[in-house]
Amino acid sequence: MNGLRDYVATRGALSLLALDSASSGYDELVAQDGAPRAAWRRLLAGHEPDLVDLRRVDAEIERMLSDDGVVYAPPGQRQHQWRLDPVPLVVDAAEWADLEKGLAQRAELLNAIVADLYAERTVLSQGLLPPEIAFAHRGFVRSLARPGQNDPAPVTITAADLSRAETGEWLVTADRVQAPSGIGFAMENRRVLSRVLPQLHREAAAHRLAPFFQALRSAILQAAPDGIESPRAVVLSPGPMSETVYDQASIAASMGFPLVEAADLTVSSGCLWLRSLDGLQRVDVVVRRVDAAWSDPLELRGDSRLGVPGLSEAVRRGNVRLVNSLGAGVAENPGLMPFLPDLCEELLGEPLRLSSVGTHWGGAPGGRDLLIDRMSELRMTTLDGRGVPSDAEELRRRIETEPWRWVGQDALHASSMPALEGDRLTPHTVRWRTFTMRHGASYRPMAGGLATARSAVGEQQVSKDVWVVKQDPADPDQGLSELMPVTALRTPATLPPRARGDMYWMGRYVVRIEDTLRLWLPCHALAIDFHHRPGSPGGEALAVLRAALRRLMSASDALVDADDLRTALSDAGRPGSVAQSVEQLTLIAQSLRDQVSPDLFRVTGALARALDASRERASDTHLGEDAETMLTGVLALNGVSENMVRDAAWRVHEIGRTIERASQLTQLLEPALGRRRGPEIDREVFDAVLQVTESAVTHRRRYRGYVRVANVVDLLVLDAENPRSLRFSLERIQQHLSALPASSGSTRPERLVDDLLALLSDTDLAHLVVIEGEYRPRLRELLVTVQSQLWSLSEAIENVHLASGPRQRPIELPLVIEP
Amino acid sequence: MTRYQVQHRTSYSYDALVTSSYGVAWVMPRRMPGQEVADATVAVLPEPEDLGISSDYYGNEVRYFHVTSPHTELVVDAHSVVDVATVEFPRALLDRAWETCRPLGSAEPRAWRAVDFALESPLVEHPDSAREYAAATLSPERPVGEAVSELVHRIHADFAYRPGVTSVTSTVDEVFAAQAGVCQDFTHLLLSCLRSHGLAARYVSGYLATTPPPGRDRLVGADASHAWAAVWLGDDHWLAVDPTNDTRVDDRYVTVAWGRDYGDVPPVKGTVFTTAFSSELSVYVDVQAV
Repeated sequence: MNGLRDYVATRGALSLLALDSASSGYDELVAQDGAPRAAWRRLLAGHEPDLVDLRRVDAEIERMLSDDGVVYAPPGQRQHQWRLDPVPLVVDAAEWADLEKGLAQRAELLNAIVADLYAERTVLSQGLLPPEIAFAHRGFVRSLARPGQNDPAPVTITAADLSRAETGEWLVTADRVQAPSGIGFAMENRRVLSRVLPQLHREAAAHRLAPFFQALRSAILQAAPDGIESPRAVVLSPGPMSETVYDQASIAASMGFPLVEAADLTVSSGCLWLRSLDGLQRVDVVVRRVDAAWSDPLELRGDSRLGVPGLSEAVRRGNVRLVNSLGAGVAENPGLMPFLPDLCEELLGEPLRLSSVGTHWGGAPGGRDLLIDRMSELRMTTLDGRGVPSDAEELRRRIETEPWRWVGQDALHASSMPALEGDRLTPHTVRWRTFTMRHGASYRPMAGGLATARSAVGEQQVSKDVWVVKQDPADPDQGLSELMPVTALRTPATLPPRARGDMYWMGRYVVRIEDTLRLWLPCHALAIDFHHRPGSPGGEALAVLRAALRRLMSASDALVDADDLRTALSDAGRPGSVAQSVEQLTLIAQSLRDQVSPDLFRVTGALARALDASRERASDTHLGEDAETMLTGVLALNGVSENMVRDAAWRVHEIGRTIERASQLTQLLEPALGRRRGPEIDREVFDAVLQVTESAVTHRRRYRGYVRVANVVDLLVLDAENPRSLRFSLERIQQHLSALPASSGSTRPERLVDDLLALLSDTDLAHLVVIEGEYRPRLRELLVTVQSQLWSLSEAIENVHLASGPRQRPIELPLVIEP
Repeated sequence: MTRYQVQHRTSYSYDALVTSSYGVAWVMPRRMPGQEVADATVAVLPEPEDLGISSDYYGNEVRYFHVTSPHTELVVDAHSVVDVATVEFPRALLDRAWETCRPLGSAEPRAWRAVDFALESPLVEHPDSAREYAAATLSPERPVGEAVSELVHRIHADFAYRPGVTSVTSTVDEVFAAQAGVCQDFTHLLLSCLRSHGLAARYVSGYLATTPPPGRDRLVGADASHAWAAVWLGDDHWLAVDPTNDTRVDDRYVTVAWGRDYGDVPPVKGTVFTTAFSSELSVYVDVQAV
């Protein structure tokens, strides 16, 4: 079965017969006469993939996206893996030539409108735009529209959502100017698709995206205030829980701009600074992915934790530029659309090239009646972003009371194209997000973009790559034959406090996963053999290891069988489980995309797949194989750590790893060695402990297989040479701490480690393993002390090395209380 | 012309050190027809590391400050000498039919600026309660001066002055439910009544003189900041009225700033970095006729 060709044949027949409603609109592949469209002819004539190929490619895509850790969280939903369909949206060169001009013009126009609204406001005073359209829109930020403010280029990046009408014309359904997202996804889609469909991609001769991206980097740096030679840019993110965290982090990582959150920045002397381990560093450009209203708790929303107090003031003084400017959101206003043709004539002196979807404003002459008459068929929105009542009578009443507040847009019968749904190609409606950047003094659209396909028959929504085909394969990519000069070399990586904390916790989670798995594996093996023989040496050893494992898991959840190995491995809802640690690591990895090797995502992807596999197993017997796979995966992360530059970030990461290791060790040793159970059982338990701590080989070599508790304690607690011993870990922490910039030799973390090491030095081995009754009270006491000191140490490290200062709060407003 | 010496001191004290404090303050009387500012200073203590003075979107003087020396008390202390005259409105303006003073869709050259004050604002919504309450007064073609006076009078009669029943974020509907509030609530209420019928009206913050000029009655409890409203009568004419005292604004009133509602021009607002859990605010206002 020939995938796309089959689709063409079927759609062709259907559209000729007008048999189903989905086929009555414009189809991207098939013309009205049933023949394939120009853009597709070349692709369909060649080695076009059949359905079997497409399914294979689809699986490869899923695998690659998983390896890259590409996630997306639709509003109100959990983060899930990004989805990309194997069939791209293809746009031919002739069509693009028109669109390109239209998109560039639109960005220029929106920029001119925003610039005017924040300075002279001539569009209002001359009556080109009814003032209520600007004033009622939430994106109009009055604190940026002060007298004397004048920013001729408030808009650096715009996105326009396009849908194709039945006439075949692309129409703009929405402009995104506040903080446009999606360029990172578009880049990733292309990277993946060009690899899984190399031949098709080559034959299509589509514009490569990389030159656009390079030019965008340069455009962002050029947005810096005048006179700065090598500007520093950062990407301001709302945090790892944000819908498009991947998009933000991937842009930061590939452009070499630090990904920061509000607490990493501070305003001082009217300038914006990045807190780094080397002190404050001046920031010149902020790629703002936080909506304006949340960007400055001092002057905008006071309850925001996502913004930097004083940012508006720094902007007004011209000491920092935002991409896009804080006020740019006003251009997302749907109420602007009906006025764009006149505004374009007036501000740019040319006719508007790219039309918007039919948009009707209630404040226009006859607008109120039009909205009320067509209420049910129009897509109704408000200027100020307020909700639309579901009750028709209430809606009618509101439109009648304040018609100027309402905007209605024509419902569009968008074009359709195939996407893989289940194991077949089905028609999907398609929407195309285009991106346009400021390029020198003009604007330049990306020949490509990000498309979204929504199934016409099912529920599926999936992204698509967009291939804009070149007129001649020899044409320069993106039409950028001359790259703009790069104004600065790769900005040296700086480590904001937020990333320092993430590095630390990444270290802890990596080791937590490894050590939990190392404990889980012998538990599982022993459980298979000794589950029903509790009194046997093996059964007792199992009980001891389980006790250690239980300590890592939630004890409070009475519903979970505390000894259930399946949930301990793969139930992310169970605190302390391997799955939960993997979820945490994956989340942290997203915000470290700009700091660490992309191999990290390969590992988290592999871990997630092994977890999925374990969840699908019917019996517990083979769970061990999945755990082995995970262990192999997490061990590969040692490579990531080894290849890190030996800077403060690496040290913080190593401290995290080492504290976690020490803490896991004491958690294991206390139940395992603190009690005497008879020589046969003890031997079994000690063997298991040595295996879990990877010290069996060393032990055998040193003690020739003679297992005594003193030897085990010596090797795992007091030994300064064994990398798995407590002392070794503490000495490592001591070294790393002393090399951190905030350390003075007497900081609390340093004092705590010194005390711990002194405690070990003062400990006499023979004394330590003395038995009283069944127990070894001195050993237990030492391990409990060390555990609680490690807690304090972790807390102290967070306070001294990872925190960004005291918390922020709004000052209470004085009430006006006079009669 | 009456001359006043004004002092407005806002202080915050915290139960732990504040290491960084950002603030914006609208505490300087503004220069405008009928009001001259002779002498004006604002002191922030501790001494700010950074201080900015600028004109806000509405032309009010606003101060930005950043205090970086660790402190447990912050003081914003404003002193000024202000000359105020009562602004008289020509009869013809006050007699305009109220409908002709609506800026939306108006052809008057300055109407577009007034539109900002005819729309809903963050703290002044247009609930049906306010629209219906005002409809009884805004009968067709009624002279605007008379209609506004009547609304002010009704609010004064129907709502009780009672501190503590509302907060800085109370909505118009909440004030209707309580049938009580403070000057800021009555001002927001009046704004909602006028704007929901298309009139433009702004929120004005300022002070009311404590010591009355000779021959006038002393108004109660005037030693605090005050708020009232001003209604657009076309061109750049704004009729200022005080719903709390049921009166037209005259030379007893010192104007500091105006905006769409309280949120545009609070005397002081800020963000502090601290481990403190609570702070105490005290405000001292003194307006002396000299």
